Amino acid sequence: MAQKITEYTFIKHFAPRYKIPVPGHLSGNSTVSEIKRSLEAWNGKALVKPDILAGKRGKAGAVSTIRSAQEAVKELNRISGIEINGNLPRGAYLVEMIPAQWEIFTAITYNSANRGPSLTISLDGGIDIENVSDDKKITIPIDIFEGLDAYQASDALQKLNCPQNLISPFSRVLIAFWDMFISTGMISAEINPWRITPDGKPYACDFKGTLDEANYKCEIPGITYPEYPANISDFEESMSEWDKISHQGQAHVSELGGNKILPLLFGGGASTIITEILDAGGGSPIFLSDFGGNPPYERMYGTAKRCLDHHLTHAELLLILGGKANNTFIDITFQAIADALSEYCRENGPIHIPVVIGRGGPKLVKGFLIMTQVLDQLQIPYVVFGPDSPVTMVAEYAAQLVNAAGKLRGLNNAG
Amino acid sequence: MRAKQLTDLLKKGDKIAVSNITGREASQVTGISQKYCTNIVGGWALGKGGQTLDTPQGPIRVFATFEELLRLTPKENHPNKILIYSPPDAVYGEVKEILKHGAGIVDTLYIITEHVSVEVTAKIYRLCLAARVNVVGCNTLGIINVHDHVRIGAVGGDSPEESFKPGSITIISNSGNMVNTISSYLSSVGMQVSFGISTGKDRLILFSLKHFLMLAEKDEHTKIVVLYVEPGGTYEAEAIDWMSKKKFSKPVIVYVGGAIAEKTNVSLGHAGAVIEGKTSSASGKKTLFDDYFRIPPFTPAKKYRKTADLAEALSRGIRVDILHHIPLAVDLVTQVLRIPKDSSSFKPLTLNPWFSNLRELGKELPAELSLSPGTIPEPYKSQYMMLRKGFVDTMVRQPMRGASRASSNDGAVPRIYGYSLMSLMRERSFIAGLILYWTGSLPRNEFEERLAEMTLTASLTNGPGTISAQGAKLSASAGNRPHSAMIGTLSSIGTVHGGNGAKAVSFLLEIFSETSLTDPYDKSFDPIPLAHKAAAAFKKKKDAAKAIGLEYEKIPCLGHPVFAHEAVNYDPREQVIYQFLKENGKPQVFLDFYHALAEALRENHSTSKVMAVNVDAAIACIWLGLCWRAVIEKEMTTQRAMDIPFAAFALGRAAGGAGEFLDHQDYGTPMDMRIPVHECRSLTRPRE
Repeated sequence: MAQKITEYTFIKHFAPRYKIPVPGHLSGNSTVSEIKRSLEAWNGKALVKPDILAGKRGKAGAVSTIRSAQEAVKELNRISGIEINGNLPRGAYLVEMIPAQWEIFTAITYNSANRGPSLTISLDGGIDIENVSDDKKITIPIDIFEGLDAYQASDALQKLNCPQNLISPFSRVLIAFWDMFISTGMISAEINPWRITPDGKPYACDFKGTLDEANYKCEIPGITYPEYPANISDFEESMSEWDKISHQGQAHVSELGGNKILPLLFGGGASTIITEILDAGGGSPIFLSDFGGNPPYERMYGTAKRCLDHHLTHAELLLILGGKANNTFIDITFQAIADALSEYCRENGPIHIPVVIGRGGPKLVKGFLIMTQVLDQLQIPYVVFGPDSPVTMVAEYAAQLVNAAGKLRGLNNAG
Repeated sequence: MRAKQLTDLLKKGDKIAVSNITGREASQVTGISQKYCTNIVGGWALGKGGQTLDTPQGPIRVFATFEELLRLTPKENHPNKILIYSPPDAVYGEVKEILKHGAGIVDTLYIITEHVSVEVTAKIYRLCLAARVNVVGCNTLGIINVHDHVRIGAVGGDSPEESFKPGSITIISNSGNMVNTISSYLSSVGMQVSFGISTGKDRLILFSLKHFLMLAEKDEHTKIVVLYVEPGGTYEAEAIDWMSKKKFSKPVIVYVGGAIAEKTNVSLGHAGAVIEGKTSSASGKKTLFDDYFRIPPFTPAKKYRKTADLAEALSRGIRVDILHHIPLAVDLVTQVLRIPKDSSSFKPLTLNPWFSNLRELGKELPAELSLSPGTIPEPYKSQYMMLRKGFVDTMVRQPMRGASRASSNDGAVPRIYGYSLMSLMRERSFIAGLILYWTGSLPRNEFEERLAEMTLTASLTNGPGTISAQGAKLSASAGNRPHSAMIGTLSSIGTVHGGNGAKAVSFLLEIFSETSLTDPYDKSFDPIPLAHKAAAAFKKKKDAAKAIGLEYEKIPCLGHPVFAHEAVNYDPREQVIYQFLKENGKPQVFLDFYHALAEALRENHSTSKVMAVNVDAAIACIWLGLCWRAVIEKEMTTQRAMDIPFAAFALGRAAGGAGEFLDHQDYGTPMDMRIPVHECRSLTRPRE
């Protein structure tokens, strides 16, 4: 439920709206003459940056300095196609190179310590904040109702021994930064660095942020958030779309790259624990899933059908596992999975991989009967455990079973 | 934080109100909570004021708003705890309303809702802090206080007693499901639970671990605390800092999940499992706890020597690496610190397959992996036996082209639901075989057979003027064969002629589904109050519809065009069945209800006469009586129960149609059903 925001979206949409000073910039498909004109205005020097959903390590290594329009075109093309930490950029863009006397780090994020937003500032900007010692950064809580005021900002800057001439202009841009954060429904926003020119003017020279999609404010008229060539599989994309359709029951998956166990897991906690056990036990889970939250039949059927359609052909074991549910009706979820499995076999032919099931919760026995009858009818081997068998032991068993069955298959094929 | 001890969060005597109580999940959970502890005093849902939520423990009033709930509820029933089940966008408004109107009344909010925005969550925290109201959530599953036998929210699912028995362990978990699961594990070493707490695991957890531990420290029942922790947030760092400084006196057993997120960069299920810094990752949290415990994580194979050093370390607690090691670690702590067990039962956690059919694979697998079915524990075993007896459990949709549960033929013996057709021919009546074919079970006694047979006889005819008899006669008049005449009869019955029995069953199911009736011949069951309630409901609907000139839905199977001229009317065919029941000392609840309803409708002036309970009603009542046990035990679908009376009428009347055909064929003249031209009327003028 979070939408990441890149620097390009920030400088194009957010910065002008909230009057946050940013360097001059040009999109990657500007003409040569536009680039030439801009370079003249920017003292002949600019940066080419990839428009990418940067991870923790940012765009480092993929930013280059250019001094001519020809160089700019060449670098825009090169950087548009460069892969950074497994992610591909949407394109590349040009930004003015800002001469800096100071570089400052700032971030606003919701902080678990004060259960509200907080602002972190360091005068050692431009580097990862975790590498900055505690005495060189300061975090101040922000009142969610009153917001950040200039006095708070100025006080924090004073404590960091910020040069006096910067305090007033920088406090003002911090207020603009807060206004953007709270008005757009962000969960976190980081401007790193602010580059401060020798004459004391601050410019936001890089940005990353995350919008809270549960917050209506992030839907801003006139702004369509760009789609990035995400580093996610077709399956994750399909499930992500399906997850957004309804709040009734989760449909969360995250691919793990495994190739043995197809896990339909229930409960945020249980799914994490089970996946860890499968992974440690050599069960090679294909993905992590959490399908709890009492999904109605249609929701669960759609979820199961998508998982089976994408992964059952190459899976070696189907695992349906969760703890003892509090409010998820097992008969409904199992009827939906059973129907999806029957449908899969009708469309794709019979399957012979073992199915391991472990569950507890309301209407359990009926759910088990529904499932075992379908498995009997489809002639699929299975083992079913109730809530008296620990989920972690069932997961261990599934990992052992898939490996033993794999060995047997290998022997049979060799024989 | 306003709470001073865990019982301030929930105790016996607390009164709970539920927001959006008519929602799918809220209404389910409310019903189960009422059964467990009857602590819900009311609820509200926008636009639903005036309704009630029926539970076996009595109806719960639904108000339009929280303010209305307070205004219309006696002060002694004002809620001090609120359970919020409203949709995400409505939660902020609900909290503001509760704090505005509930000042001085409400002390704690539990927000079950998931996907509340982080901004709103932060605002709720501030508002509740200012109002000195505890707030747990968002996305909590609630809390159970086992010693007081009370819960708020859904902890314990549909049978809290099954997982939670009073004991000396408090479970505090980022996952609601894990509260249940860990509690079940603990009983394997004879330990039970004092409080089971689901903190919720959204980005912001509003009632922090430190605060829960502060309260657990003072809880007289809590001897050990078990934590289930996930990545994200600095709550554990804050709690450990506090425990170290204040010398927390109770041992803590902790499991930290979610390390896989660091290895594979996957996103975990809970929204709050987002790393904020090195102490908020799973490995960071593990290190924090290990440093606090000053003892390596629990190793089940290790032989722990009961030394003073071990006791000193375990007095702080120990971390486990695998979830099902929690009970073993708890067992070690109880032994070393001499904490008494809550129960003498001890059953190690093992794998116990309830069902297993590994087919050919099972023959090849090593013995330890080729698991055979074990023992299904109670109460599941009884549930299994009960469900197996019926056939609804086998109602898995499948291609039925060559398959049937109702009949079979192995090449030698045709069978109905497993009973040999030849044996039925020799030993049972036609009607017994019919009941078997339609309901899946043979009739329990001859009395039921006789009743069913009467319904078929009653359906044979109501004279040659009936539409269905006319169908057969038309067919005979045209020179058709008997089967076509019977089809003519069947084509001439429908929802208003014969098919009303299905509506009657639907009506009866609605009325009686709220009762505890198990035996339709139960003499102690008084249907008269139900009849008055149904009559009042009908009058209200009728008056409302008439006031605005709309048609209103009639009660099915009351009244008959032929038997409608007396102050008190009877359908003579129905009366035979009714009197037969009386004479045999087995008045039937459904039919008695119908008669009481006819009288109640006259009494409340919905009708001017006592309308006849017609033969369709009698057919519906008798066949519903035959199906009732299977319906309430969910062994038969309600659709089947509704279709059977219509099938009974159709069968009787089709046979009657054959009788009309044979008569008409012998004595009629060709084309005699044709209406002469001079008897026909044209309702349009010639146009050319």
